[in-house]
Amino acid sequence: MEFNHVHKSKKRVDVYEKVTGRAKYGADMRFPDMLYAQTLYTKYPYAEIKNIDLDKAKKQTDVEAIITAEDVPNNKFGVIIENQQVLAEDKSLFIGDGIAVVAAKTAKAAARAIELIDVEYKELEGIYDPLKARKEGSQLIHEENESNQVIHHPLRKGNIKQGFLESDVIIKREYDTPFIEQSYIEPEAVVAVPYQENSTITVYGSIQNPFATQGAVASVLKEKLNKIRIVQNHMGGSFGGKDEVVSSMAARAAILALKTKKPVRLVNTRDQSIKESYKRHPYKMKYKIGATHDGQLKAMQIEAVADSGAYACQTPFVTWRSVVQATGPYEVANVKTDTYGFYTNNIYTGAMRGYGSPQVIFAQESLMDELAEELDMDPVELRLKNIYHNNSITASGQKLDSHQVSLEEVLTKAVEKSDFIEKYNRYKKEQTGDKKRGIGLSISFRGCSLGAEAIDAAGIILSLKKDGSVNLYSGLAENGQGLKTVYCQIAGEILGLDIDRINFMEVDTLISPDSGSTVASRATLIGGNAVKKAANNLKNRIKKFIAESYEQTEDDIVLKDGKIYGKKSIEIMSIAKMSSMAAMEGVCLTSYGWYVSPEISWDEEIGQGNPYFTYVYGCQVAEVEVDIKTGEINVLKMTAAHDVGRAINPANVKGQIYGGVMMGLGYGIMEELKTNQGYIQNTNFDEYLIPTVKDMPDIDPIIVENPDPDGPFGAKSIGEPTLELGAAAIANAVANAADKRIRSLPINLEQIIVGRKLSKGGGQK
Amino acid sequence: MQKVKVSLTVNRKKYNLEVDPDERLLDSLRDRLHLTGVKEGCSIGECGACTVIIDGKAVNSCMVYTFQIDGSHVLTVEGLEIDGRLDPLQLSFIEHQAVQCGFCTPGMLMSAKALLNKNPNPDKEAIKTAIEGNLCRCTGYQQIIEAIEAVVKKDGSE
Amino acid sequence: MIEFEALKPQNLKEALAVLKERGIDIKLLAGGTDLLVEINNNSDRLGNFKYLMDISSIKGLDEIENEKKHLIIGALCTHTQIIESKLIEGKFPILVRGAKTIGSTQIRNRGTIGGNINNGSPAADLITPLLALKSSVILKSKNKKRELPLQDFITGPYKTDRKEDEILTKIKIPKINSDYQSSFQKVKRRQAVAISRINLAVVTDIKEMRFNDIRIAFGSATPTAIRFLKMEKKLKQTQINELNFDSIIEQTGQEMVEIAGERWSTPYKKPVVGNLLIRALQEIIREVQ
Repeated sequence: MEFNHVHKSKKRVDVYEKVTGRAKYGADMRFPDMLYAQTLYTKYPYAEIKNIDLDKAKKQTDVEAIITAEDVPNNKFGVIIENQQVLAEDKSLFIGDGIAVVAAKTAKAAARAIELIDVEYKELEGIYDPLKARKEGSQLIHEENESNQVIHHPLRKGNIKQGFLESDVIIKREYDTPFIEQSYIEPEAVVAVPYQENSTITVYGSIQNPFATQGAVASVLKEKLNKIRIVQNHMGGSFGGKDEVVSSMAARAAILALKTKKPVRLVNTRDQSIKESYKRHPYKMKYKIGATHDGQLKAMQIEAVADSGAYACQTPFVTWRSVVQATGPYEVANVKTDTYGFYTNNIYTGAMRGYGSPQVIFAQESLMDELAEELDMDPVELRLKNIYHNNSITASGQKLDSHQVSLEEVLTKAVEKSDFIEKYNRYKKEQTGDKKRGIGLSISFRGCSLGAEAIDAAGIILSLKKDGSVNLYSGLAENGQGLKTVYCQIAGEILGLDIDRINFMEVDTLISPDSGSTVASRATLIGGNAVKKAANNLKNRIKKFIAESYEQTEDDIVLKDGKIYGKKSIEIMSIAKMSSMAAMEGVCLTSYGWYVSPEISWDEEIGQGNPYFTYVYGCQVAEVEVDIKTGEINVLKMTAAHDVGRAINPANVKGQIYGGVMMGLGYGIMEELKTNQGYIQNTNFDEYLIPTVKDMPDIDPIIVENPDPDGPFGAKSIGEPTLELGAAAIANAVANAADKRIRSLPINLEQIIVGRKLSKGGGQK
Repeated sequence: MQKVKVSLTVNRKKYNLEVDPDERLLDSLRDRLHLTGVKEGCSIGECGACTVIIDGKAVNSCMVYTFQIDGSHVLTVEGLEIDGRLDPLQLSFIEHQAVQCGFCTPGMLMSAKALLNKNPNPDKEAIKTAIEGNLCRCTGYQQIIEAIEAVVKKDGSE
Repeated sequence: MIEFEALKPQNLKEALAVLKERGIDIKLLAGGTDLLVEINNNSDRLGNFKYLMDISSIKGLDEIENEKKHLIIGALCTHTQIIESKLIEGKFPILVRGAKTIGSTQIRNRGTIGGNINNGSPAADLITPLLALKSSVILKSKNKKRELPLQDFITGPYKTDRKEDEILTKIKIPKINSDYQSSFQKVKRRQAVAISRINLAVVTDIKEMRFNDIRIAFGSATPTAIRFLKMEKKLKQTQINELNFDSIIEQTGQEMVEIAGERWSTPYKKPVVGNLLIRALQEIIREVQ
């Protein structure tokens, strides 16, 4: 298929502003009379708040208002379960709970006032281990519940007992993963402006999901949705992280703005960001797997326990994705999976790129290598024997028959490109010297889009101007991933316009169609389809207008290179000229595209159904060097093969792969938010380490394209699949190099040398 | 706190400021001069988003009090563009898709600029050393390195 | 929140005069790469102070002087200056290697050798090389000048012997003849901008295949960076081809525990300090052979 605008590495449409420093991010917004807000956080993770004395703080010069939970019209919000406190009311439930928020004329005055607020606490003994929270009779984190369980997703397929009976080899292993910080480089920032035009409150800022934030602010303020306006600014990264925490900040700023009748800016420092923003869930996982001597998987039994922290947040959905992906992309007749989430007094957990998959993939792909070892088989052979192909039946009973199942293709391509087999066997042998090399791989299938979490639909408005330029209004938002460019390319392809003629308008809830959240690697797939629909609607109207005015048949009309061609490919006129004429003739040049995803199904009781309408497949290979005398690991090379359906913008796809590989590497060997009795020990980038340029290996991206019948021009997803594989591949490479199987992330110095993590305790920050 | 008088040349323009002792260069640039291309990411010199060039050297502007650098020349990302012409580094970042969310970009550009001013022909390792203090969470750094390398190669061939 | 007034003396004389008067209320600021972090973090380590005295632009304290028996490094020399100094690279390459591993380019452009010492971090990457080079520090006050070994200047973790009216002006490194070899090792959690988990500086001359003068300084293994004198004694005059690796590893770990006591990190550091020492010795031996 020949394309003019998609399938090309077009330059980003938002890049000029970004390289010149002109792009305005949340903290760059300025309004007349703007006040600066600061949050006072609780001193203890779990404590009763006996009294809050604001007198001294209120007398501080330049302080204009202070709010506590008392001032919050509706203090509890949440997308799935409404139990997150905007400000701690009777009790603080985790160390990042806010107690009060001050708005002052200067940031300094607000900071001073914070120090003058006297809070009387009664420290309580909290629960910091989800396995303790799980025990019957444990004290309840949320008293209105019957237990600390947030959610339990069972999955039952076949006969698990029988499956193990049929197995020649059975192994049982336990794995665990830590809290992970999204680590967007821009800390959270919002500015709430009161009574702008017809809105009660307008919130500008670094907001991943403007419609989710709109919902939260409306619910907290007890105001109608149409009175709350959210405008997204440029976002300095999000990776799932700027949802509930930003909603909470937006609500706090909004209350202060209404109280003072002035714009209020609330911007977190990095320490505040790490302390109050939700993290990726730590998981404790038990795996039991059975196979025949020749490597046929017979049964898999899994229990995964997620720490939800103080609030439900996204736990029910995160753990749901885990249940679908927990067995990996392998055909197993007999499966029993149980994933749970439990409340604790730890920092709460929510969405982060991967969303419940990196944890189970680390476990299950480590397990496959351990099983291969046990069966004396190479890891590629064992996988090839069991992976999904076209028409395979998944653990949830779904028949994969709607798209090309390309696991074998991605696996083979990555294995060949990385010279895996030769290196695996060579590194397995005794190596001289302190630095041992190893190679490892991991594979995955990943459901695209929301799946059975919710109805999956999105809308786009295109408005063709009289000069042939276009405004594009989207409900899904640019997070930095390149969505604006991709949408402009898709619209351009259909309308025959260069992308510089299309202007992607910032998401503004006033105009943009509510399309849910920009999550789940759904933007290109779902939103892209909506762009296609909107553009086709517009194109059809143009065709009709031209056909009627110029005695052409619609079928002959082609839009290309900014021009309109008719019968025998003769140029009729420019799109610009046509636009002006059509406008004069009263033709509607604004079009709407609404896309609803194909049907899916899910039986929550047994975990069976068709949870996603399509999947992507990926394989990553890691080559590492392990210093067995110091425990240092150097990742030398990563090969990443991903089927994206079709790459709308190959340079962007590569960018996603490089970035995802980096996050996977961080997850594998260095990242860990350390907590001790609910306190966070590393609240800035000096101690919470993320990869620098020097940590990055050579990366070999392999873009595999099997156009999906349900994707726009065949495109599917790439954001999350790239990050979920790295840690498992690295763990397998370390085992290959140093004959050490590490089942707990991150694989740090101590784990290599001592075989376990060491903890210094303390950390009351 | 007693204000301190400071004179600075920022992006080729001279300013006379009266600053608080605890006012960081980052604050002066963002809040007084409205040069909001200078970003605050960590406040402790770990992320490099606030990198500017002071008297030819890349520096974290969150790690300098303005009163310390009286008489200095400061260059921020806003000063890279001269008379509407983008710096070759800016053009190369555009060309090589070296930008995603863009928050680290200004600091990254300034680190690269300081490197090329000092060493017009750096090898890959020198490029990495120049930007090792600039954290990027989106790109995996790959296309950023490619963008800087391309400027080096272009310069070499001219 | 920490509030203070700024002091910006024009020269050393003026700085010392002010320090004499109200040194007790004054915090000294040079490159700021540690101090501004502590101020941002409201660190307990800061103690009380009313004034912040910026000495970063005082002239004459950022020079590298090549004296007959010593190399003198001005306290305000930045890490970048040290890395780029041909003189230091020629005489004490180990110092350059240490400096290169500090922070990032931005940090190295601001941070100074005097600041690295005065901050007194057990993990400071210049202190271990300087200890192994038997450096001393020169401090000036209004009416006095004193010199003392670096080891004595550092009195505890983040503590030094600097009196409130003094400024550390120079670091004095005795020259060694060209037979000397050195090795710097650093264990870190990531490849760049990393605080040392352990660092090690070894300086030695090998005569007739034996370690003659050998100095071994570890950082981040003990509460302050320190020379491992027992191990130095054990290795002195040992044949370089007859090293008993196992016993060196064992005894280095033991010496660390004797100095530092058992800490949370001991199970990791105890074997690794010895491993690192072996690595440094092997590197030096390879160089000689």
